[in-house]
Amino acid sequence: MQPPPLPDPILSLRHISKSFGGVKALQDVSIELRPGETTALVGDNGAGKSTLVKVMSGVLRPDEGQYLFEGREVPVNGPRDVARLGVQTVYQDLALCNNLDAVQNLFLGRERTGPWWTGFRVRRAECERRARDVLRRMRLDSIALDRPVGAMSGGQRQNIAIARSILWEPKVVLLDEPTAALSHSAAEQVGALINGLASHGLAVLVISHDIHNFVLENSDRIEVLRLGKNAAHFRSGEVTGEQVVNAMVGGKEGVNSAA
Amino acid sequence: MSVAHPAQNPPPPEPAGGGAPPRSRRGLAERMSSELRFLPVALGLLALFLFFATQSDVFLTSRNLNNLLIQSTVTGIIALGLVFVLLTGSIDLSVAATSGVAAVFMSKCVVDFGLPIPVAIALGILAGVLIGSASGRWITFVGVPSFVVTLGVGLILNGVQLMLLPRTGRYNLLNTGVEDIAGTYLTGGAAWTVVLVAIALFALLRISHWRGRIREGLAAPLGGQVLLPVAIMAAVVIAILLYLQGMKGLPMPVILFGALLFALSYLAGETRFGLALYAIGNNEEAARRAGIKVDRIRISAFAIAGGMAAVGGILAASRILGVSVSSGGGVGGGALLLESIAAAVIGGVSLFGGRGRVVGALFGALIIATVSNGLNLMGVANEARLVVTGLLLVLAVSLDRGIERFAGSNS
Repeated sequence: MQPPPLPDPILSLRHISKSFGGVKALQDVSIELRPGETTALVGDNGAGKSTLVKVMSGVLRPDEGQYLFEGREVPVNGPRDVARLGVQTVYQDLALCNNLDAVQNLFLGRERTGPWWTGFRVRRAECERRARDVLRRMRLDSIALDRPVGAMSGGQRQNIAIARSILWEPKVVLLDEPTAALSHSAAEQVGALINGLASHGLAVLVISHDIHNFVLENSDRIEVLRLGKNAAHFRSGEVTGEQVVNAMVGGKEGVNSAA
Repeated sequence: MSVAHPAQNPPPPEPAGGGAPPRSRRGLAERMSSELRFLPVALGLLALFLFFATQSDVFLTSRNLNNLLIQSTVTGIIALGLVFVLLTGSIDLSVAATSGVAAVFMSKCVVDFGLPIPVAIALGILAGVLIGSASGRWITFVGVPSFVVTLGVGLILNGVQLMLLPRTGRYNLLNTGVEDIAGTYLTGGAAWTVVLVAIALFALLRISHWRGRIREGLAAPLGGQVLLPVAIMAAVVIAILLYLQGMKGLPMPVILFGALLFALSYLAGETRFGLALYAIGNNEEAARRAGIKVDRIRISAFAIAGGMAAVGGILAASRILGVSVSSGGGVGGGALLLESIAAAVIGGVSLFGGRGRVVGALFGALIIATVSNGLNLMGVANEARLVVTGLLLVLAVSLDRGIERFAGSNS
């Protein structure tokens, strides 16, 4: 029997270019995300990683290039269009409200409410039960539901931000530096969580600087950017950290081992 | 030995709760920074009561407590509305001036235009709401700091107030019917009905929470979530009623304050709008990304503050049987403005937004009124009263900060 064919990419960007004034942040960059796979986006500072994620999440409009979702080119005029497609982004600053608890943060702006004559009263119990279920499914039972998230650890806050992104069952999740500020053990936990997302059939993109400890262990593919261009891409199992780093800094030519 | 990890260096600070067992009991300090926020303020109020009771024989009489409660209503109602603006991280320095203009406008409608009192009062409140929304609109539209805009608006309103007043500088409201609002007392069955309705509403709210949690299969202790809070609330309200029955009965301003307190606590604590206020106050950008219409919420908060200021101003006019140049605290808002802000802040509402409860305005207003009333009875001069109120404000804010730091929450 033949191995199952690769699933079609759910989100692909083709020939994307973006300039800020005279600075070419992205030049003819292409990237594909497939369901059930975690793609790591790596590159040195200024390689264009964040710019690419902002284009993918609809925050920035590219000067040139195509945005394809499920094989069709779609118009993207802002973050709302992208969210409507089922693409969620977890930004590096997490966008959490420290004075609100986990339940309130998870549902912020999307609360279930009573009818108008209750003044759109928040259905707290329903939100809390759903939040508990989602966190349980993600094996995050240790997060207290009714504590202000400002009193929680960095890892827990990161996990809540990720949980919020998948609460509404997206097809694609983009994570900007989810482990940048975390201790090693907390980063491992976040890595396990990200693996869980991919194994449930989501397409995941994660930006990370931590090649050796995080990227190689928690991704299926690695996309390397250098100076705003595609520099190389690898399958994570077939590459060493050294090779990835070389491709990032432009030492030896990256081995293009993907089909 | 590893060079990268010299043994001398202390380990990097672990984030709080990192190694703690899951679902550890939440510390008292942390609970005090959220749902038990009112505890230090309530205890402070109790301490003040005990102190003044030992200093003056008159303090605990029905007549005096009646006065004290009524004294706190105008400041308290203005502070109630101000809480909404403070929660979003803004401030409204024009609330006192708004109360003055609304009261003068209402009086003009009654005296000069002969409008029926309910219509005049509705127009006065509407004026307050419009003033508040205009300030809010300007602040969100231009993006200027709220304290500058509302400082200017306050001065404008002081001018408008003088223009609205007749050449005598005063409208007399005696025998117009407006004075009945502050002068009405409910006794006997009517008073009991009001109190029982209040208890029933509070109980209904608690029960609906409790039933919701049972329906969703969440922990729902009947004692802690329904019986205890309802018992405490009922005991306090009935005690106040029994005390005031000994005097003239339940004063209408107090009933009005209670009703507004209930409605606005519900709005801030239970609804999607209230949650949005807290979110904006802590992290405006996060709120915007979550799809909250930040500008609309903020304008609504200013509208509520303006409306409540108008209610407070009209109540004050009814109490002192008229309006004059000094309605609304005089030029700049005077003591009325400062005490309204102080009431909210002493009640635990943060000036930096996102923290505090509406009920804090009640406690803050009561503390300010108690200090003023108690020191008066002790024969202490007015200047000392200002000093003590100021000290209490500083103490309250410092205590607040201490609790927050102890609870370990950032921001």
